[in-house]
Amino acid sequence: MRTRCNIVLLLSLTLLLMAPCAVLAHKVNVFAYVEGETVRTESYFPDGRPVAGGTIEVRDRSETILLAGKTDEKGLFSFPLPKKEDLTIVINAGMGHRNSYLLKETEM
Amino acid sequence: MHLKQFLTGSAIFICAIGPAASGQAHFAALIPADDIISQGDGKQLKLAVKFIHPLDRHYMEMARPVQFGVLQNGRKTDLLATLSEGKGKAPEQDRDFTTWRTTYQVKRPGDYTFYLEPAPYWEPAEDLFIVHYTKVCVNALGLEEGWDQPVDLETEIIPLTRPYGLWSNNLFTGRVMVKGKPAAGAEVEVEYLNESPGNPSLVKAPSDPYVTQVVKADADGVFSYAMPRAGWWGFAALSEADWKLRKDGLEKGVEIGAVYWVHTTDMK
Repeated sequence: MRTRCNIVLLLSLTLLLMAPCAVLAHKVNVFAYVEGETVRTESYFPDGRPVAGGTIEVRDRSETILLAGKTDEKGLFSFPLPKKEDLTIVINAGMGHRNSYLLKETEM
Repeated sequence: MHLKQFLTGSAIFICAIGPAASGQAHFAALIPADDIISQGDGKQLKLAVKFIHPLDRHYMEMARPVQFGVLQNGRKTDLLATLSEGKGKAPEQDRDFTTWRTTYQVKRPGDYTFYLEPAPYWEPAEDLFIVHYTKVCVNALGLEEGWDQPVDLETEIIPLTRPYGLWSNNLFTGRVMVKGKPAAGAEVEVEYLNESPGNPSLVKAPSDPYVTQVVKADADGVFSYAMPRAGWWGFAALSEADWKLRKDGLEKGVEIGAVYWVHTTDMK
């Protein structure tokens, strides 16, 4: 009897802990484009809210990290075009919120 | 025996006149190559515009549309000049019909609602003109914003279900608007587009009522329909315009339709 109670308690606790995950289910996205010699990135949740204070990492074709930075309160982060080749732009908003965008050389 | 022959004969006769009668509905179709543009996809989106009986695949002639554009992030862009003429027909039709097509360059994340106002189509069988204000929404790059925004057409369906990324058997709910107000009790015709890409086999209607499904909107103009097959589904909410058009010197009624297209995918 006691064991069953504990299981119920444990289940309730698990459900309680899972509750914030519903919010975490919101996938983060990053989009990037080139304007002149500047790369502009926008990081957002599906409903349009910006990903503020997320970390942006820029990698070249050989996966070398060329630069990193933080998104502002509008989810934006810009940087001078570091290299004219395919760049992978990674957004990391913590807690497993991670996505990337492949900015193609043809779009530069 | 005689009776049987008579019945068979009648059945053939009914079948023969069937397509010319009201067993099928007219739909302006605005069909994009995809309803979702993901990162790996090209950002060149092809769109096809035609006037069709979706289930039996019969095309009708379509004059150059009056209005064609896209609403994105609250901004409308006129795309009428980008339409180029094409030809299309069902395999059993003996002539080609005019269709329209375009390619749209998607630049940014977000929802793109494409909208179309065809030129009035004269339908002698019904002694009226038909104008179908047609919309379809394409999502790009994970930003799901804008699909519920009106385009402000004479009549239009405002989706209450997010209109992309739908599974087969999902319920599609929308609100019919006429001149910006909910159309209480509007009749909505629903048809499956048999020429949907990926349709494994042509759907054959066992009898006429299966071709066009009919649902009625409630007092708030809201209707729902569950779509039982993967592919494109057209919803046409019909009403009569409070204006007339002239044909051979006579004033004729105008059927205005609010058409919306959604795509479903089987769960696998």
